[in-house]
Amino acid sequence: MKLTALAGVLALGMAFAGSAVAQEKATIGVSIPAATHGWAGGMNFHAQQTIKALGERYDNLEFVLSTASDPSQQVSDIEDMMATRNIDALVVLPFESEPLTGPVQRVKEAGKWVTVVDRGLSQENIEDLYVAGDNTAFGRVSGEFFKQMLPDGGKIVVLRGIPTTIDNERVEAFQKAIEGSGIEILGMEHGNWNRDDAFEVMQDFLSKHAQIDAVWASDDDMAVGVLEAINQAGRQDEMWVLGGAGMKEMIKRVMDGDKIVPADVTYPPAMIGTAIELTALRFVSNVPVSGRFIIGSELITKDNAEQFYYPDSPF
Amino acid sequence: MTVDSATPTVPKQGFRIDFHVWGPVIALVALIALGAFLNPNFLSYGNVTNVLARSAFIGIIAVGMTFVITSGGLDLSVGSMAAFIAGVMIMIMNGLVPSMGVGWGVILVGMMVAIVVGLAAGLVNGLLITQARIEAFIVTLGTMGVFRSLITWLADGGTLSLDYGVREIYRPVYYGGLFGVAWPIIVFAAVAILGEIIMRKTPFGRHCAAIGSNEQVALYSAVHVNRVRLMTYILLGILVGIATIMYVPRLGSASSSTGVLWELEAIAAVIIGGTVLKGGFGRVWGTVVGVLILSLIGNILNLANLVSPYLNGAIQGVIIILAVVLQRQKKVER
Amino acid sequence: MSATTAHSPVLEARDVSRSFGPVEVLHGVELALYPGEVHALIGENGAGKSTLMKIMAGYLEPTKGQILLDGQPVSFSSSEEAENRGVILIHQEFNLAEQLTVEENIFLGRELRRGFFLDKRAMRAEALRLLRELETRVDPDARVSDISVSDKQMVEIAKALSRNARVLIMDEPTAVLTTREAEVLFRQIEKLKARGTAILYTSHKLDEVARIADRITVFRDGSRVAIAKAGEMTEDQMAQAMVGRALSNLFPPKVLPQKRETVLSVSNFSVGTIVQNASFDLYRGEILGFAGLVGAGRTELMEGLIGVRPGAGHIEINGKPVRISSVGDARKAGLVYLTEDRKGRGLLLTKSMRENLTLLALNRFGRFAIDARAEDEALAKAIQEFDIRAANRAVPVGNLSGGNQQKLLLAKTMLAEPDIIIIDEPTRGIDIGTKQQIYHFIQKLAASGKSIIMISSEMTEIIGLSHRVVVMRSGRITGVLSGDDINEDVIVRHAMGLEGKVAA
Repeated sequence: MKLTALAGVLALGMAFAGSAVAQEKATIGVSIPAATHGWAGGMNFHAQQTIKALGERYDNLEFVLSTASDPSQQVSDIEDMMATRNIDALVVLPFESEPLTGPVQRVKEAGKWVTVVDRGLSQENIEDLYVAGDNTAFGRVSGEFFKQMLPDGGKIVVLRGIPTTIDNERVEAFQKAIEGSGIEILGMEHGNWNRDDAFEVMQDFLSKHAQIDAVWASDDDMAVGVLEAINQAGRQDEMWVLGGAGMKEMIKRVMDGDKIVPADVTYPPAMIGTAIELTALRFVSNVPVSGRFIIGSELITKDNAEQFYYPDSPF
Repeated sequence: MTVDSATPTVPKQGFRIDFHVWGPVIALVALIALGAFLNPNFLSYGNVTNVLARSAFIGIIAVGMTFVITSGGLDLSVGSMAAFIAGVMIMIMNGLVPSMGVGWGVILVGMMVAIVVGLAAGLVNGLLITQARIEAFIVTLGTMGVFRSLITWLADGGTLSLDYGVREIYRPVYYGGLFGVAWPIIVFAAVAILGEIIMRKTPFGRHCAAIGSNEQVALYSAVHVNRVRLMTYILLGILVGIATIMYVPRLGSASSSTGVLWELEAIAAVIIGGTVLKGGFGRVWGTVVGVLILSLIGNILNLANLVSPYLNGAIQGVIIILAVVLQRQKKVER
Repeated sequence: MSATTAHSPVLEARDVSRSFGPVEVLHGVELALYPGEVHALIGENGAGKSTLMKIMAGYLEPTKGQILLDGQPVSFSSSEEAENRGVILIHQEFNLAEQLTVEENIFLGRELRRGFFLDKRAMRAEALRLLRELETRVDPDARVSDISVSDKQMVEIAKALSRNARVLIMDEPTAVLTTREAEVLFRQIEKLKARGTAILYTSHKLDEVARIADRITVFRDGSRVAIAKAGEMTEDQMAQAMVGRALSNLFPPKVLPQKRETVLSVSNFSVGTIVQNASFDLYRGEILGFAGLVGAGRTELMEGLIGVRPGAGHIEINGKPVRISSVGDARKAGLVYLTEDRKGRGLLLTKSMRENLTLLALNRFGRFAIDARAEDEALAKAIQEFDIRAANRAVPVGNLSGGNQQKLLLAKTMLAEPDIIIIDEPTRGIDIGTKQQIYHFIQKLAASGKSIIMISSEMTEIIGLSHRVVVMRSGRITGVLSGDDINEDVIVRHAMGLEGKVAA
């Protein structure tokens, strides 16, 4: 459990920081995409929570949070932070890798600390700290779960996210993992990480295919729509659904032993909190925080679900 | 007679199809034939119900949009408005559960709330446009952002979910039906028929077309231009409320991603149906056909693996443009 | 160079026919334009004048026959090509970009440049020179949408002048001009003549034609019925040739109301700063003319009375004070207004006659649902009663001739069953035959007990039809004339402010 381990480290660091380190003022800029879907919503929530907590804990730290609804807006946000808020560090979850690489590099060149979260930049060695989920692992863990559940092969359908590198990495890893297992993918369509879209795509899958053994919804928001479509068609007993990301409602169902939702795979939106906390440590302590910090994707089943259940989070 | 110089008439012999009138219908029939050819399940009861029921939200909104556009206006805020109404509705219903208990009472209150909030939202748009005299495009672009951030704020960036018990009772409003016809389809049909009658048979419909084709003429002809304009936005707001009432029981939740791009789909449906974007002429039945065309495209692309899913948007775009070009050709000839 | 010395035409139409679909609207007509000569083309609306003008200026192709430029057959592929070769048409409905400035319009499409950039200074100097030559005070920086109709006309002419037109074709240029502005135009035409420009000119104002034309061609129903040199034709003969019959009594005899019964009393009515303290009475069965220069505030006063402009003052109808803040209020009070701007404010040009006819009085055709059959009946009645001529009932109103549009507007207004009818410029842009009809309608309405206010800039109309005349000048009423005082001299003196006293 890397996360819990980390929490321990952080607690130690804070105790240390609170007592000893010189209280030099520092401003940390945080630039993230706006809450346009469930996961991003959770990520926004955790960013705000973390900033609030850190702000109360350290008097010398100041935070600037901005949310962008497209890459160019994010570039402007970062430029504004540099120009008007004189930030000492930037925590950025890039909307897209390419357009953000240049601007973030300039921040670095200005001598600021840079933490990149989740989506890597297209050039290496710019950031001081890289905190990310593992999309390949996400797809692989999911695929392995399918192999395990369908040892004799079976027919499945796949809902994909918004067409991006993240989605591609996940799907490729998934396909690789189920290779040779006899599992046949009947169809793949984009549900765009959106409940409504996923609902309609699943309705059409159900019309088209008489036999479906399982669905890889690949995201918990999409799983909500998929489950509703299956209910409507009255085919709950035929198939099960695997989502992803660890939405609280889904984890609850896994915890309760719901047959149609046997498991979930983590891709915690709270990783933004990890990144902000680590960056803060850089200014309040002397512990080393540079490097790469990869948060693994884990399979949540009935046995361990309780550990991942955060009823207060909006996600 | 200036007729001679302005519009040359070409003699037409024999049978000719008036594409301006029949274009959208022909496109719809062609799509249905294509769908049936590609997949035998296309015409199954289940699939037909799915397509019609999912068209209902956009459809109900698009009927209202037809009036707004016909009278020379535009409303970009409807998608965000739907999300906002859904959010408010869910919060209020959840909040009432402890005091009122789980039951139809809560749901009826929720429905009332949806309509009242829709009316109020339409009123705000309408008053800003008619009284403050701000361009409809700007006003509704503004309120689009306002409603969208309000729902994001209400949901804390996440998802608002309806109380489980209430949801179970409310569910049949989307999934149930009468004589095998799903409720959303019935409501959509009722709204469409009523809309068609209002557009064609009542002074209100006539006044919308008059304002859209020339506001000055309407003003000098004793038409209460501002009042009619305001009414179109209020009507649209109420219809967004009704669409939301049908939407909430489907997934029982609302989030910042609810209703994204609905406004553009509704506007596209209206235009495909033959209503003139700059106003002056509108037909509700055309809008219904337009909505069905749009949902069928998505449905067919899902049912048949014709092209890479990456190209779905391109196919939709081409068909929208084609539908409009088809209508236009006739106009030039005439 | 003078008009008499040039004997080969610059631009000539030979045996030109034109069909639209199965309908031939021009039947082998001839027309020759000589340098330094003003050629007037007259005829009723629909006689084919506009079609021929468009053919000669490259907007339309002839179906048969040919156009010759300097004796050589040409076939302009576009109006642009015609313009490049010096043949320019000024449209009746102007061809100006409303959102651009006057100067930008004058040079639109052929902007002066210095290197890569626009040569603003040169264009401005040239624009000023042209406008000054036209004796107009319009500002080169004014946006076209903000200037008056007559100024737009001047801008069009300036635009044509800047293009060194050899042939200038003007479609009813004076229809929207005041007498004074028309004088400026005529002087300008004289200058153009002296420079050797050939001018083709249409107008419904026969006195003008008699005055400035060197040669006159008369069209009727797509054929040339007469051609004459200046002085060979009287105005009466022109009218007769156009209509094809003798036009007796253009104006019906005046029947003055027997007793003075005031139906409308307006006192101290002001509209912004445009109209100040106007007071007048209107009697039952009366035709009250409103005379004055364009811009005297007559239209604004009436628009204030019917509530489309904010106005302040006291209005009594049949002795009772009324408050009118919208056209709807005015209608309820029995007061209606026929706008001078038929196309912009009167009719929905893309809609059919039926929808236009019933728009004002739609509530008479059903409260909740419109009774389509009743509408059709009303249309049939209107077509018969007002002699509206259209190819069929479904044709968009924009395709009707000006005269038929005006009749439809009249029918639409009368459907509201008003007691008081305000008609603004009842015959603008209408041919003489239809004018006569409209005069008789107005007279008949008055005789049937309706009360009529008629704004007109045509002196003959005011004098020929009005029982009394109100004259306005610069937003104030300067005189109310009756009896023998209704003559050109007295009206003009009041309109120009030469008569100091204010009559009551």
